[in-house]
Amino acid sequence: MIAGLYLRVCAAVVLLAHVPVASPIQADEIDELIAVVAKAGPQGAGSVEARRASTLLTKRGVEILPRLLRAMDTPNVVAANWYRSAYESIVAREAAKPAPEFPVPFLQEFARDSKRQGRPRRMVLSLLDELTPAYRDSILPTLLDDAEFRSDAVALVLRQGDRAKAKGDVKKAKTKFQAAFKHAREVGQLTGATDRLNAVGVNVNIIEQMGFVTRWYLLGPFDAPGRSGFDESYPPEKSVDISAGYTGKDGTKIQWMLSQTGDRLGQVDLIQAIAPVKEAVGYAYAELNCRQDQNVQLRCGADDNLTVWLNGEKILARRQWLNGTRLDRFAAPALLQRGKNKLLVKICQGPQHKNPAVPNNWSLQLRFCDETGYAADFESALPEAAR
Amino acid sequence: MKTVCNFIVLTAAIHGALARAENWAGWRGPNRNAVSPEKNIPTTWSENEGVRWRSQLPGAGISSPVIWGERIFLTSSDGPKQDNLHVICLSRRDGRELWRQRLWGTSPTRYHATKSNMASPTPVTDGKHVFAFFGTGDLFCFEIDGHLVWHRSLASEYGRFENRFAATSSPLLHGDMVIVQCDHYGDSYAVAVDQNTGADRWKVERPDEWLSWSSPQIVPVGDTGKHELLLCGSLKIDGFDPQTGSKLWTVGGLQQECIPTPVFGHGLIYAVSGPGGKSLAIRPGGHGDVSDSHVVWENSRGVPFVPSAILVGDLYYLVDDDGIATCLDARDGKRVWQKRLAGRYTASAIGTGEHIYFFNEDGETIVIRAKCNNFEQISRNRINEPVFASPAISQGDLFIRTTKELLCIGPD
Repeated sequence: MIAGLYLRVCAAVVLLAHVPVASPIQADEIDELIAVVAKAGPQGAGSVEARRASTLLTKRGVEILPRLLRAMDTPNVVAANWYRSAYESIVAREAAKPAPEFPVPFLQEFARDSKRQGRPRRMVLSLLDELTPAYRDSILPTLLDDAEFRSDAVALVLRQGDRAKAKGDVKKAKTKFQAAFKHAREVGQLTGATDRLNAVGVNVNIIEQMGFVTRWYLLGPFDAPGRSGFDESYPPEKSVDISAGYTGKDGTKIQWMLSQTGDRLGQVDLIQAIAPVKEAVGYAYAELNCRQDQNVQLRCGADDNLTVWLNGEKILARRQWLNGTRLDRFAAPALLQRGKNKLLVKICQGPQHKNPAVPNNWSLQLRFCDETGYAADFESALPEAAR
Repeated sequence: MKTVCNFIVLTAAIHGALARAENWAGWRGPNRNAVSPEKNIPTTWSENEGVRWRSQLPGAGISSPVIWGERIFLTSSDGPKQDNLHVICLSRRDGRELWRQRLWGTSPTRYHATKSNMASPTPVTDGKHVFAFFGTGDLFCFEIDGHLVWHRSLASEYGRFENRFAATSSPLLHGDMVIVQCDHYGDSYAVAVDQNTGADRWKVERPDEWLSWSSPQIVPVGDTGKHELLLCGSLKIDGFDPQTGSKLWTVGGLQQECIPTPVFGHGLIYAVSGPGGKSLAIRPGGHGDVSDSHVVWENSRGVPFVPSAILVGDLYYLVDDDGIATCLDARDGKRVWQKRLAGRYTASAIGTGEHIYFFNEDGETIVIRAKCNNFEQISRNRINEPVFASPAISQGDLFIRTTKELLCIGPD
């Protein structure tokens, strides 16, 4: 953005508050052009018409920015980009003027309107950074629950807490860190807030905040030569009988064992919990109690791979091998039902990597959460104490 | 041996006046082989010498610069999710920004902290249009003056990409189609899109493929006038009819996750994937599983995970991620030489008939003499910023994208 834009806009903001826009617009024509662009969609459909309409919109001035921005508030990213193309041209042209006349009050209202799509709001806030530089920090603390700006807001509040602590105001720092922890959804921010809270004597629980399943019955290892385990079906896939015993890899007798992971992010180390084996299959079984039906997200990862059944329905299967367990690598929609839910996970373990230095990993990480990443409402129905 | 090399240099100098000024129209330049037919490309420079201009770039990107005439096209991405996309056009003469389009990406994925982002695929141009593909699952067509022509949100239409390092596959132009390979954790596919309308011409599902980052390649089949489309991924390389997307043949022997793009020469396809994998020389023109019948040679030396290989004359050059450079005889796959270079490597080597350029992640370039049966280092040049993007050669200049800038290496 052009240097000095802020100063040149200050006068214009005052002017705009009292003076009607300079060039009256024909509402119908703009609406028609916006409607044409809205039809752009899959397979390049509507591109010719959208381009023509966008070109005509580009020739207009800042007076159409509010309508362009409202049009951008669409899940249709193709149409949104056509609108944006016109928006960027209009903004650049206006910014180059000696006294730009951006509709700052509207832009500010648009940027903080949590009901709108995040991408145009972020774009507008970037413009406001040039027009009214203090505005971002003034609104971010009010956007801790905002889908688009949550992360920015949490980062700001963490910084505010750090500054308070550095000045010796521990009480204020605690308040800031607690607010950050409550609203954070990204793991880096959650662990950062946790560490800060621990340092000022406050304990919090990331597991509960993120919705990890940490209490499992584990069974294995079943024999699975090479990479055959993914496609092979083993007894738990027919029915789960916690009291049953099976013949496992190398003829060993195996049975379900209750296990509670102590990992900070709910990762289950099957090498430790089951056995340090290769070319094997293990199962994890949990029961979850819910107070009501919930449409949630399953988020999970495993090394080497996993298949997930919820209440008997396969809801996720990923075949890839040797990828390491990464937080939220895979996601799928899931329905947690009121009452007891039965969760079965199959975790495959492939052969040793060609490089013998690659460590032997066999692990699982799984959680249920809402779209923002906050824990779904459930509790383990398995016994409290691990055997 | 050095005498022979000097003779080659002298011969090249005599014919230097015939050197053509070429465009570098997409990933890996002419024929996607990363070898420019130009001569007298700079071989020495430093942070302060030999750099004609440098231009700051917005955001992040490891896509290569693409050059057509007086225009350079680049892509980048920024924002908390890297879903704010940029398509940039610079002047080849002075690096001045001619235009920039800012767009939204549909569905950003995970990406590597330094080695990838949503602007990893290299754009491609035919001199009239620029086609830019992003890891967000979006394909755009622009006129070369920057006007948007169409936008395909593949992530909206066919499902969001699931990728841990972000998609890097670069689009390929063939006839009036732009072809994109979309191999990921979810439902993989390749799609050929009409350059004029943006509509699908064909789409082939790849249910057995999972995550790969390799780019499609197109090769001629002997003198038949026909071409085959090559896609590497999931333990194999497949040949397709580029007109229909029908699968023609397959050769096993690649790694599960493929990154390098195959090169072509001497009537052979040279495919490689590592680590721990091998290079394969394959005759095109097969049907069905031709793993036993069409593989001319294979060699497991010096196989990279990320950088693509390069073929110059009868020699096939590789550098692996840890800097082991290997030269094989392209005719039989036998080792010619092997040498440890400094640094780690993400960018793919490029070359001319005279020299091979290896770019490490620290901003250092090692230039060696091409077509020599021994390792002969010409120069070692350092700039102060990391380099992950594969550079380009065009019209006498070398273009190096660092993590912050585009540098034009060439005479004033």
